[in-house]
Amino acid sequence: MAKESFDKEIQFLRLLALSGGGYDRQQFAGRLGISVHTFDKTVRRLREISGDADFADLFRYGYADSAEPVLLFLYRAKSMKESESRRLPLLLTALRGQPQTAAELLDACCEQLPVDAAMPDEKTIRSDLRYLEEIGVVRREPGGRPYRYILNNELTDCLSPKELIDLYEFVDIMANTQIPSVQGYLLRDNLKKALKSVVPAEEWDDGLLEPFSYKYHYDARILDEAHLYTLLRMIHLRRRISFQYFSPKNRKSYAAKDTNPLFGRETEVRRESTLPLKVVYDHQYGRWYLIGAASKGRVVKFRMEGMIEIEEEQEVPEAYFALKKANLDERLRRSWLIDTGEPVTVRARFYRPGREQADFIEERVRMQGQWGQIVEADENSFVYEIEVNGVTEIRPWLRGFGSSCEVLEPAELRQSFIDEWKEIEAYYDASV
Amino acid sequence: MTHPFEKIFSYQLSSRLEETGVYTLTSQERSWLKSMLDHPAASEALEERTIAKLQECTLDDEMPDLLDGLEEKAGNAETQTVHPLLAPIRRILRNRQGMTIQCMTKKGKLNPSQPGLPCKLEYSMVKREWYLLWYNSATRSPMNTRLCHIVSVEEARMSRGRYEEMSARAAGLLEAPRHEASVEVIKMFNGELTRILHAFSCFDKRVEFDESDQIYRIHLSFTGSESQYVLTKLRFLGKRVRVIEGDYLKWRMRETARKALALYGIEKESAQVDETDRKTQASLPAAGGNLTV
Repeated sequence: MAKESFDKEIQFLRLLALSGGGYDRQQFAGRLGISVHTFDKTVRRLREISGDADFADLFRYGYADSAEPVLLFLYRAKSMKESESRRLPLLLTALRGQPQTAAELLDACCEQLPVDAAMPDEKTIRSDLRYLEEIGVVRREPGGRPYRYILNNELTDCLSPKELIDLYEFVDIMANTQIPSVQGYLLRDNLKKALKSVVPAEEWDDGLLEPFSYKYHYDARILDEAHLYTLLRMIHLRRRISFQYFSPKNRKSYAAKDTNPLFGRETEVRRESTLPLKVVYDHQYGRWYLIGAASKGRVVKFRMEGMIEIEEEQEVPEAYFALKKANLDERLRRSWLIDTGEPVTVRARFYRPGREQADFIEERVRMQGQWGQIVEADENSFVYEIEVNGVTEIRPWLRGFGSSCEVLEPAELRQSFIDEWKEIEAYYDASV
Repeated sequence: MTHPFEKIFSYQLSSRLEETGVYTLTSQERSWLKSMLDHPAASEALEERTIAKLQECTLDDEMPDLLDGLEEKAGNAETQTVHPLLAPIRRILRNRQGMTIQCMTKKGKLNPSQPGLPCKLEYSMVKREWYLLWYNSATRSPMNTRLCHIVSVEEARMSRGRYEEMSARAAGLLEAPRHEASVEVIKMFNGELTRILHAFSCFDKRVEFDESDQIYRIHLSFTGSESQYVLTKLRFLGKRVRVIEGDYLKWRMRETARKALALYGIEKESAQVDETDRKTQASLPAAGGNLTV
């Protein structure tokens, strides 16, 4: 719904983040279905936005060992007119201390703009103020015309330096550990400036800005927040949506064959349509899904990264939405992730690590085992049981425990674990 | 809350504003903060007075139940977002001072107090838990302790000179040696590449594609303490991937497969192999080492 679309940049950055910048230019361009020339152009633009010289290096996880979200600069990509990017800082600076009218702001602006710059008129200033008020950056002071405006930074102005540090650290933690996080990261950037303005230079320590570090982040997760609020708003408004969908199953963007439709000319891509019911974030892979209602009581699942050009469609009655939502909630109740298949009871025996060691196995099962229960336990092992929709989604989790987990039921799952471990053993039999 | 692509966030504007010291706060950011203030972690991280002020400032910034439409799945039961020891340890870090610290062992035994230097507070997104990386000045060793195992921490004053010296030594010791390994995506699973890459995206990695054989290889770089999590991911992905370089991981994967098969009553005769295993193990870096308390 945004006028300026960032679908290409998002796709591009996701590939960079996932590949760690390891492809060469030719391979990269081939995978995205663009020419090397377009590739270079996109890199130049993104490099300009990120302000970083060695772009690909950003995506090495250990890069700078910092809590800075490397992909946040995507959200700084919105372009603005040169004249606007000169005028707005002047307005914002003037609005910092004293309430100002549009006429006063016009004077301040004209005084400070270089002589050769195009001078704004009062109408332009008013429209700037409308925009700034709409996004909550400035507020109108009480009283009649002419209206006076002031920068709305009460949030930081009302805090003592100590409270500001506490707030910065809280925002740092929440932006890094919770979802959604983009707004939190943007706020964190602004709070940095607030900190710099209250902490005296002689007491300044760069350590203030990087209080903590975070391990094992899925960097690419914040790219999908680009569409998150559009979808959440549509759910809230009970509106159907239509969109173009590139299913990861059909998409060839990593297969080096077809042109990636996101970058290609307008090809005939079918538009999908659904009533969005829920957005699901998958912690196992750091990926996002949209779940919607389809005809005949079915539910449909889309990977958010494949959705572009989302359009809002007609509203549905509240009662209809509530019915669909209740149906979905019931069907997702036993989903390890989003599987809505037939429920099956999975039983597995977990083996404790041995007497000398702390029992990290049970700890992990309790922490990650969702609604499953430990139904039997002795000093060497315990049995975990869960009723879950299908075995596909829980299987990798169970396998992740390696030889500390023995699947007991269902029999087919047990057999498939035996077969898979045999295959894996064969991979390494000759090699070590 | 509107679209996160706002021109107020534009790099063109922010680079100009940078010089003036002026910053802006939008309703989007305030309503995000408002929703985070409802999280139980807020009352642990912030004083009641501060929360009241912040709530006052975010009254008009409404995010009308939007987050009701969002659900998180397959994550850890979140045990800890903010830990009460974060604030006192941050204070010692900011003051650039030493500390006296008393910890429990993993099995709950209380160790005597130790002198040391706090170096870094780190959160693991996997364990959903806080760790303190510190330098034990009595044993001169780098330590990595879960905050939940720390019984008490107190600031111990030291001169700036001594602090700098110890801090440099600690930084050198805490910089763990890195290991390299390469993982190959088994060709018949190339169709699942995005999923596989997503699974590895939390590591320091580089992907290489061999055009002629159509094979993807993922080169990983990790520290000893991270190798356990690399292994978990390899097992998680199962037969889709194979370690092609990195003897330790190969050896561990083979051991896992054998021991797992033994659980199902499928044993392999191999006294000779065991002998090789022991040699291999002896020559390989320990996963985790003695870092963890």
